[in-house]
Amino acid sequence: MGSDFGPAELVRGAADLSLEAPLIHALVVGDRDAIGQALQETRHSGERISVHHTPTFVSMEEKPADALAAKPDSSISVAAQLVAEGEADALVTAGNTGAAILACARRFNLLPGVRRAPLAAVYPTHQRHGEKADPFSLILDVGATVEASADDLVAFAVMGAAYAKVISQNPNPSVALLSNGTEALKGPARVVEAHRRLQGLPGLRFAGNVEGVDIPKGTVDVIVCDGFVGNVCLKMLEGVHETVMELAQYAYKSKLRWRAGLAMLSSGFRRLKEVTDWEQYGGAPVLGFDRVFIKAHGRSRARAIANAGKVAAKAVGADLSRRIMEGLPK
Amino acid sequence: MSLPDRIDPRPPRHIYRWDLDKTYLQTEFDTFRQLMRTALEKAEQKVAVPGAAALIRELRSRGDVQLCIISGSPRQMRSVLEQKLRLDGVQWDELVLKDNVRNLLRGRFKALRGQVGYKLPVLLESRASAPVESDEVLFGDDAEADAFIYSLYADLLAGRVSEAVLHQVFRAAEVYSDDGARILRSWKSIATCDPVRRIFVYLDRLTPPGRFSRYGPRVVPIFNYFQAALVLMGDGHLAAPQVIRIAIEMVQTAGYNLLTLSNSFQDLVRRGLPLESVANSLIQALEGPEALIAAIRPVPDIVRAFTKRLAALGSTPAPPPAVAIDYLGLLEDARPHRLKSADRRKD
Repeated sequence: MGSDFGPAELVRGAADLSLEAPLIHALVVGDRDAIGQALQETRHSGERISVHHTPTFVSMEEKPADALAAKPDSSISVAAQLVAEGEADALVTAGNTGAAILACARRFNLLPGVRRAPLAAVYPTHQRHGEKADPFSLILDVGATVEASADDLVAFAVMGAAYAKVISQNPNPSVALLSNGTEALKGPARVVEAHRRLQGLPGLRFAGNVEGVDIPKGTVDVIVCDGFVGNVCLKMLEGVHETVMELAQYAYKSKLRWRAGLAMLSSGFRRLKEVTDWEQYGGAPVLGFDRVFIKAHGRSRARAIANAGKVAAKAVGADLSRRIMEGLPK
Repeated sequence: MSLPDRIDPRPPRHIYRWDLDKTYLQTEFDTFRQLMRTALEKAEQKVAVPGAAALIRELRSRGDVQLCIISGSPRQMRSVLEQKLRLDGVQWDELVLKDNVRNLLRGRFKALRGQVGYKLPVLLESRASAPVESDEVLFGDDAEADAFIYSLYADLLAGRVSEAVLHQVFRAAEVYSDDGARILRSWKSIATCDPVRRIFVYLDRLTPPGRFSRYGPRVVPIFNYFQAALVLMGDGHLAAPQVIRIAIEMVQTAGYNLLTLSNSFQDLVRRGLPLESVANSLIQALEGPEALIAAIRPVPDIVRAFTKRLAALGSTPAPPPAVAIDYLGLLEDARPHRLKSADRRKD
């Protein structure tokens, strides 16, 4: 309910999901009348959508803890409760990230061996990954935990690898730690310690350390870091993307010759946009809980919401939580 | 002549009028290839929409009903369609098919696809011979103009549409003059009455249900025939065990399950249909000696699924408002954009 485009876009996503994925049932949590109105105007299957009414929601501007305390009947609180009770198998939200993580943390259980649930994000890369030749890599954590210990980083690596195996159909994903050098002893003590432990962890294809330059290249399938570093990296990637777009617009307006050049490249740009379009990936998983939780971008349109639903269903179908537990150090 | 033969059958209290293609039968004829395949299909190859045959059988089992089928299929398909209905255990009283060969020979090409000039006179002529006190429930789909024609038929009978408006509808829908004359003649032969209780529109194309709000609450768009059964139970046409039998057939033959059925139920409640008493009666019936239900799934699970869906909505949503139908506005909106643009240029 609290996403940037409001409930109508979320409902359209659920409607698309009901048409495209006949085995998925969407339980839409939020204001009954707003959802009902949007459904009335949208092509959907009424057999695969149900609604759970909640009178309030947490907006993007609200402080998560305060908002959840003041609104126990908010859509995100109720949705997390419904998933915890088994009414639904996974939670997908495009609303306030902090409130969503907090609501889930209060209702879901962390998997044995996991101390903190990281927020993962997919981002476009030069190299392709996995059987589906995904043009995306996974980076985690991107903001759920400000500072992660060596234990946490090891758990993040295992969770990221399990997710890449399930979602990207990458049977043996490469995993690396983000540091300020590729040598094993580079970086803060917790990164060095995590490096030592990951080297000896069976069942994980640990590729050592990577540097910031390797992020857009997609040198590895999964990059592990703490939430502070990951969030800075992610925001920088978004900033670079926006700057490139602005520069292209500037060039388009500045000179006729440049405009002609851009026009000639337009089909290439379109293709590039298609393969790197984050909306096709839907959302980012919050890993480590006993329930599947996908956080869609606040600016998600219907297509991204529908794809987030498909990713969630895939994670549930492949029993992601079990796969993560199998990989964690005993 | 034996004695029972001389006893007149009871006059029908309820008349159910059904369209066939895309309403009763799962038919694809959007392309020439699909049209040919449909035309050449044998009876056993034709597939009914899940629950449709079960619903008709349950409605018929009351005895005082009449089933009238009006289809746009050509008359040459009569034997195949009759065979299909018999295979499904469906008994009918009228089966009217379109005389497309005659239309073709007379060069009436608009009549080949036109529905108003075909269905409206057939409906009115059938009504003219029906008992005055019988009520009607009509079944169509979202592929053609069923909601429009059925609503117009209902409002003509009830005297809510004037002759002037009807003439304008003829012009807008390009009805041939002899069909128009048939419509007027039949209409004027029927005493004013208001027998049409419901018009169900099966959402074969999954048209957004809100598109039918302009027809008022009498028109109920449905995603499946379990939904129609629920509404008909609320309207007193079916009893709870009959609705349960329809649901069972849909579960056993078409892959429906507790989720899809309970979601379908909630969908109707969300749209303001008053189904609380229906839910209570269904629960009572489920807890009764219906052994077949218990064999499929534990009864408490079914009851819980439906009560949960109801409770999840909080308070009961308001019923949709009654509206006066603007037939000319509907026809204008349905016209192709290019024709509207051409008219604007002329002006």
